[in-house]
Amino acid sequence: MSQLKRVQQWATFARVWHIYDAAWQNPFQSAELLKKYLMGMHKPIYHPMNDCGDHVIVINTADVALPGDEWKKRVYFHHTGYPGGASWTLAWELHKKNPTMVMKKAVYNSMDRSLQRRYTMERLHLYPDANVPLNLLENVSNQIKQLRPKPKRLDEYKEEEVREFPKLIDLPKSYIVE
Amino acid sequence: MNTLLKCVQNFRFNVFKQTKHLSIYPALRVKEIQEKETNNELVISGKILESGREPYLLKNEHPEACPVCASGLQIKHTDVLILSQFMRSTGGMLPRRITGLCRRSQKYISSLVIMANKAGLMPHLKPANSHKDPKMRRGWKKYNKYFYESTIKIK
Repeated sequence: MSQLKRVQQWATFARVWHIYDAAWQNPFQSAELLKKYLMGMHKPIYHPMNDCGDHVIVINTADVALPGDEWKKRVYFHHTGYPGGASWTLAWELHKKNPTMVMKKAVYNSMDRSLQRRYTMERLHLYPDANVPLNLLENVSNQIKQLRPKPKRLDEYKEEEVREFPKLIDLPKSYIVE
Repeated sequence: MNTLLKCVQNFRFNVFKQTKHLSIYPALRVKEIQEKETNNELVISGKILESGREPYLLKNEHPEACPVCASGLQIKHTDVLILSQFMRSTGGMLPRRITGLCRRSQKYISSLVIMANKAGLMPHLKPANSHKDPKMRRGWKKYNKYFYESTIKIK
């Protein structure tokens, strides 16, 4: 076995740790991406009965972004099993209670229901901010690229950057500054 | 009776004509009013200022088109450096007589301005009495959101 093949074999069968920054990302589109790493679908040896999934650490889940007014339109349903035990929770209410729950449910629901799903979820580590325990962080060897760029606020630019940016229009001479 | 009415109308017209020169702002084309108080004397002077944009203006290759159409840019609501050129200091969109855009671009850009404001991308361009920090908003509005430009409906 050549040196390259040996490393390739080691990399294939090892559990690799990935990190993903969820700030300003859609949790449902991110879930489709993360589930491939969690289930090991990005590996050539993938098979549903082959336990070859990786670990994924997701940071900044409190800063996930939803399009438009989906925070108040998306509803999570729960039933206790008793009569009158149904409850409907809006996405923003769930996010207020637990800032990792929207992301967790998105990944859980993105996977097909099977006996492996609960064990796959154990390899997902969610954190509302960037404070990750060091014993987890030292395992990380890969960063998953974000799906959409994080938008930069206008007050985060320097003053001269804003002033010297190419201008499309000039204000008319009669314009009164406010 | 008619002559009487005409007299009254003329009188009213004359009164308005007299008061018209009192409106200093648009007629005198003043950009900034400066007030200076020295030795119990209040001096109010108008000064025409440079906008500061002259050296950075893009050259319009097609002068028959409006600046946005001529630039050929696909502007998104996250392009705050472009959108802030069309905005007041209080966060609203400037009217078309000042921006000089075509009807379609004006509507498109003003939709983008609304989107950027809702997403909290320009928190310091706000009225003085408002919450500048988007995290201080109530309910679902405090959480991060983004928008699709394809949802803007213009003819």
